[in-house]
Amino acid sequence: MRAARRSIGPALILLAGAGLFVAAGRLPVVPVPGQLGPDFWPRLVLVGLMTACVLKILEVARAKGPGPEATAPAPVSRPKLVGGMALVLSYPALAPLLGFPLTNFFFLLAFMRLVGMRRPLPLLLTGLLGTVALLYVFVKVVYLPLPKGAGVMEDFTIFLYRLLRIF
Amino acid sequence: MWETLGYLAAGLAASLQPLNFLMILTGLAIGIVAGALPGITMLNSIVLVLPFTYLMGIVPSLLLMTSIYIGGVFGGSITGILFNIPGDPMNVPTTWEGYQLNKKGQVRLALGMAIMASAIGGFLSALILTFASPPFARVALTFSTVEYFAVVVLGLASVVVIGQVSIAGALMSLFAGMFLGTVGTEAQYGITRFAFGIKFLDTGIDFVTVLIGLFAIGEVLDQLSASKDAAGGDPATPSTARAQLPSPRQLWALRGSILRGLGTGVVIGAIPGTGATVASFVSYGLEKQVSKHPERFGTGVLEGLTASETSVNASTGGAMIPLLTLGIPGSGATAVMMGAFLLHGVQPGPLLFAKNPHEVYTIFVGMLLANLIMIVMGLIAARCFAQLMKVPEPILAAFIIAFCFLGAYALRNDMSDVWVTMLFGVLGFFMRRYNLPIPPLILGIILGPLAEQYFLTSMVSHGNDVTVFLTRPVSAAVLLTSAGLLVWPALRWRFGRRRAYEVKKA
Repeated sequence: MRAARRSIGPALILLAGAGLFVAAGRLPVVPVPGQLGPDFWPRLVLVGLMTACVLKILEVARAKGPGPEATAPAPVSRPKLVGGMALVLSYPALAPLLGFPLTNFFFLLAFMRLVGMRRPLPLLLTGLLGTVALLYVFVKVVYLPLPKGAGVMEDFTIFLYRLLRIF
Repeated sequence: MWETLGYLAAGLAASLQPLNFLMILTGLAIGIVAGALPGITMLNSIVLVLPFTYLMGIVPSLLLMTSIYIGGVFGGSITGILFNIPGDPMNVPTTWEGYQLNKKGQVRLALGMAIMASAIGGFLSALILTFASPPFARVALTFSTVEYFAVVVLGLASVVVIGQVSIAGALMSLFAGMFLGTVGTEAQYGITRFAFGIKFLDTGIDFVTVLIGLFAIGEVLDQLSASKDAAGGDPATPSTARAQLPSPRQLWALRGSILRGLGTGVVIGAIPGTGATVASFVSYGLEKQVSKHPERFGTGVLEGLTASETSVNASTGGAMIPLLTLGIPGSGATAVMMGAFLLHGVQPGPLLFAKNPHEVYTIFVGMLLANLIMIVMGLIAARCFAQLMKVPEPILAAFIIAFCFLGAYALRNDMSDVWVTMLFGVLGFFMRRYNLPIPPLILGIILGPLAEQYFLTSMVSHGNDVTVFLTRPVSAAVLLTSAGLLVWPALRWRFGRRRAYEVKKA
């Protein structure tokens, strides 16, 4: 049962590899005689990937007992993990809408709170000063055109930049 | 010989002139910081200083750039050892051993050994550059894409020895990385592969985004989700996180690793298109092969750290050989340096030694000096970066992700790169949880496109005759070594099992 569960990952990658192998054959190209096509290398790599998956499945099936790599993984705090992943993925999702300054400020607050920072004043000050420092370094010094946000948020970001004398 | 020594003496005097010496110090500082910060590469910083070199002569310009190069290839090992975040792909093998040493409470030794190995590797390679560059370059000139392909295969084959738990898992990770390297517009036919209508994939997946995501964000998520009891050894406390230079006895004990790292670094660095990343992986793999205890690699082994760190800095001298003697840049960094030469109306190549010997030997001496000064600068830098460990975990974790955002965004000013980084961060967490090794994936995505390019070019040049890889002696020897790397662990496992069976039977 455990072996079957541990084979699911390699089996899924094997299937994906087979699908991509077929997709590689449909690349829109007129082959030049005597020259290898653009599908040759990816197909070679995918054959390697599928072979490695088969080897992995065999390795899992042959392993007696839990196997060398089945050392019990450290327990996971699911709320923290889900929260962390949600924050990490919402960071690039919100930045183009709210602008980098506001998104970064909220991200820092939320992430530091999630990791375990409890006291509100240090939390707020770190978020605020950290964001201002990043803006000065990356927008004013390095000229990195960070996302300003959409619509009214863009106006807000520009107002903020002027207030901080970044623009 | 006497003439060379005379030029070297004049070069030393010129290097110690205030402006030139200042450029060495500035370059080292910029290089170490840029190398240490993920997403800001040593190459980026060399490119960024290029406009400033208009204001200077050729010697201070080149001293600035070579010092950034020397500092930059070392800098990434500091954050690798302290935070498990290699600043550049070339520092990945150092990170495997260095961070484990940190977790074991030997962070001072790990940092000190990295500094000394880098300095020794860089210094000796600069000496080799000084005395042996012309004959060495003549050999490299005979190399074609066939030999380059063989060298890249050697780098890829090293995955078997760096795969710490399961060879099948390591191969899965490697081929997945190589496949990711095929995404985007293909060079020979100009068609887009595996973009599936997603516009930003047309230009391919930048390996830096993958690297930042898998290593930095994956690590933060892993630490975040692990309960304190189960997190294993904690990295060193701030008070112990200073570099401690190894004693002469410790260095002597590691002389074999240093010499192997030096040889690998100089030779691979001198082959155009390979460079420090390939050198570090190959030297690490080689070290594991010759070790009496290869199973300990990945748990904090000084030999692995020393060999890879020596080879990374040794590759700097190696990469300068084809640039200065043939006018062929051996890496991205030396390509920018070639630009600086041309900006000042100087053509690198064999005539450079005849026309501008004073300038050339000043650069040689500057490199020797930079590697010596790097010991002091490295100690200071390690101490400064170690202060970061005093920062509370919540602040450090949140800002690491903010820097990952900025590093990924700065690549092309494109949010798509940030998305790729964040998604690979999540993938990195799962790869850690399911014991799929991450380094082979990185190796695959970096070396895969190079392997494809060299393979297809070789095929076009030789009428699709694959035997060409075995009929050219250098290529055959390198491929044979690669095959040995692949077969050796299986043989060792087989013989080990038989021996265990015989012992049990007896």
